[in-house]
Amino acid sequence: MSSHENTRFVEISNLVKEYPNPYGEDFRVVEDFNLNIRQGEFISLIGHSGCGKSTILTMLAGLNEISDGGIIVGNKEIDGPGPDRAVVFQAPCLMPWMTAYGNVMLGVKNIYPHADKATQKQIVEHALSVVGLGDAMKKYPREMSGGMQQRVGIARAIALQPRVLLLDEPFGRLDSLTRMELQDVIIDILAREKLTAMIVTHDVDEAVFMADRCVMMSNGPKAGVGEIMEIDFPRPRDRKEVFSDPAFFSYREHLLAFLEQRAHLKGETRIHNRKNLMGFCGLGEKKKDNQAHSAA
Amino acid sequence: MNFLKTIKYPILKGIDFSGLTFLSPVVRLCYGEEPAVQIKKIVQWIIIPIIAILIFIFAWNQASDNIHTKSGRLPSPKETLLAYSAIDTFAEYEALKEEAYLMSGNERISELEVTEKLIAAIEPIVESTTEAVKTTKAAYAEKIEARIAPLDEERKKTDAAFKEAQASRKAALAEMSEALTPGDTAAYEAFLAAVKDDVSKTDEEKDKVRALKSEIDDIRDEKSKDVAKALYAQTQAAEELQFLQKKVDQLTRDNRSEKVASAKVEMSEEFATLTTLTGADAFKTARGIAKDEARLVKTETSDYAGAKTLWYQTRRSILCVFTGFLLGSAIAIPIGILCGLNSTFMAAMTPFVAIFKPVSPIVWLPICLIIASAYVPAPEDSTLMNWMWEDAWFLKNYDINPAFIASACTVALCSLWATLANTALGVASIDKDHMNVARVLKLGFWSRLFKIVIPSALPLIFAGLRISLGVGWMVLIAAELLSSSEGIGKFVWDQFNNGASDSFAKMVVVVFIVGFIGLLLDRIMIVFQRLVSFEGGAAGV
Repeated sequence: MSSHENTRFVEISNLVKEYPNPYGEDFRVVEDFNLNIRQGEFISLIGHSGCGKSTILTMLAGLNEISDGGIIVGNKEIDGPGPDRAVVFQAPCLMPWMTAYGNVMLGVKNIYPHADKATQKQIVEHALSVVGLGDAMKKYPREMSGGMQQRVGIARAIALQPRVLLLDEPFGRLDSLTRMELQDVIIDILAREKLTAMIVTHDVDEAVFMADRCVMMSNGPKAGVGEIMEIDFPRPRDRKEVFSDPAFFSYREHLLAFLEQRAHLKGETRIHNRKNLMGFCGLGEKKKDNQAHSAA
Repeated sequence: MNFLKTIKYPILKGIDFSGLTFLSPVVRLCYGEEPAVQIKKIVQWIIIPIIAILIFIFAWNQASDNIHTKSGRLPSPKETLLAYSAIDTFAEYEALKEEAYLMSGNERISELEVTEKLIAAIEPIVESTTEAVKTTKAAYAEKIEARIAPLDEERKKTDAAFKEAQASRKAALAEMSEALTPGDTAAYEAFLAAVKDDVSKTDEEKDKVRALKSEIDDIRDEKSKDVAKALYAQTQAAEELQFLQKKVDQLTRDNRSEKVASAKVEMSEEFATLTTLTGADAFKTARGIAKDEARLVKTETSDYAGAKTLWYQTRRSILCVFTGFLLGSAIAIPIGILCGLNSTFMAAMTPFVAIFKPVSPIVWLPICLIIASAYVPAPEDSTLMNWMWEDAWFLKNYDINPAFIASACTVALCSLWATLANTALGVASIDKDHMNVARVLKLGFWSRLFKIVIPSALPLIFAGLRISLGVGWMVLIAAELLSSSEGIGKFVWDQFNNGASDSFAKMVVVVFIVGFIGLLLDRIMIVFQRLVSFEGGAAGV
């Protein structure tokens, strides 16, 4: 039972999302999406724009209505949003009239209404210091950089002490240095708190570096799971080590190939463009060969 | 030096915050920051407006020379300034009279002595100025007559000459008419031509005489500057004398303590009579004493009942506009929030908003007056009114009456729409991401409303409030004018009906007072608006 619970902590089965098109016909964005997530596992969801990645995440968050199928989190079917599934949005979505502290406290006060003030304060301060904002608690969003604002967004999510952390392209609007910093912050938090997490991303490196399993989605409409790739790097992950590991490149190559092939299926890319598109593709292939040899 | 440096940015921030941005180049220049740029800005935002104002004053002065009305010339800037000081002097006199009314004991006696001395000093001045007016008027009349005499002579002469010419022409025509033989067309045509010639000549001659007459009239109408000056000096002195005499009244006959004292004496005399009476007479006298006693209590605490000054009326207008504004906002903000939250409610409210919004204050006011006086038919008997007259904080100084309430309600009814629309828009256009956050955090209805919806709508709500206050201020002046609620509007109406020589100028003074207060209210609202807007640096100041 416990192992079952562990391997199927989150159970997404036959998930469907339909929107009526302007003529009143139902238009299926997502169809028969199935995925089980282990407790403590980190899933990255990658696919072409408009394939419905974010739709799946928002349905899991409960912010988007489920047309058909179901989602079970910890043996309970979800019904609407809840603090057990915290979301970090693409935009930081902070309340501009509250300080960083106030923004985090907003959720904490509501989730722990019976905790005394000192405890609430402690939770907020802890969450903010975990994301590295111990000194910026009294700052207003307009006084913070985009990266700092997103840190507050992360602090607000983890202060709820959720069971599942949902990241909806959280670093999409940040520059690459800040993005790397925040990736490390998330990885540290997950290592410490043993949270189950799902990240929706466009970034192939991010999808490989952060996740235990990478779910590649087929193209919409009627998008579903195209392929699932296990990513086997030890945790806690170290950026330098992972990025210098030959396996990283083979994962990356595989992912790119999948996306490339899907794009080709759409009829948008021709096969001979492939080399032009990815300069170091050959390198990836070589490494893959090397890896195959060493495995043999 | 260091201190100066540290206060530089707070000063600039404060200037920016209060919207007095034209001052910031001056401050920057004082700190020696890019002098060339600052001077250019000072020229643009300070010098040019001052020049524009000077041009305006010049044009106004010119216009006032050329615009003549039944109520006199359009007041020139100088006359307007004099009217302003007259208003101010009147207010000062009223304050002094009030002081005099409340004086008692030795204070009153010494004040009386001082005032009487002043009267003695000013009486000869009044006499001499009256004399001066007489002499200047006579001198001027003489001068005028000297100018008119030759003209009049000429007029008389021309008139006589023309009359003679007309008579001779008439005789010639009569002769001609006698000589006519029926059927002789040529002769008739010649006769008709002669008659036409006579008519046109007569008209011409009449015009000439008329022109001379109007020239004479114009000279008679000319106002002498000397006479005006003498008159002004006389009026000033006479007004001061009148004031001093009235002040003496307030110190003696009308003085509160004097009235109380004399009433007491009267009552003790009455009591003496009472002790000699029996039966019905005794009863009647005793009742009279009882009534007098009640009156005495009122007199003891009574206030000076003088004319209202413009400053008092202005304060009361401001009180009234804020009463109406708060009333309107108290209605508009909750309804606006409900409209923004719920589209069904919005649909229900839309017809009312659409129909009531364009209604003019002139229509609302009589309706409000009727309703207000229906609810307070006898203000003296109403507990609420009595409370407001006697106990309520600062309101007791402002004599809240049904006209005041009706004016405030009119302000509310006309001004609430901007706030309503802006609140609804602000609430409806709340960031969807913020709502998603609220859903994930499982915020309840009230904390969603107070922690997310209202704060994010506040800047727009305040933008609406700012418009509302501006509209309310405009509406109020009209409402006061119509309802005779003591205020700026009533002042204008009184001046319009008064027709004194400076009434017109006083109305022009009011234009500037109303404009200035409107500007002040707007600036206050801008500061509030910036305090609640989270984009600007509100928290920093």
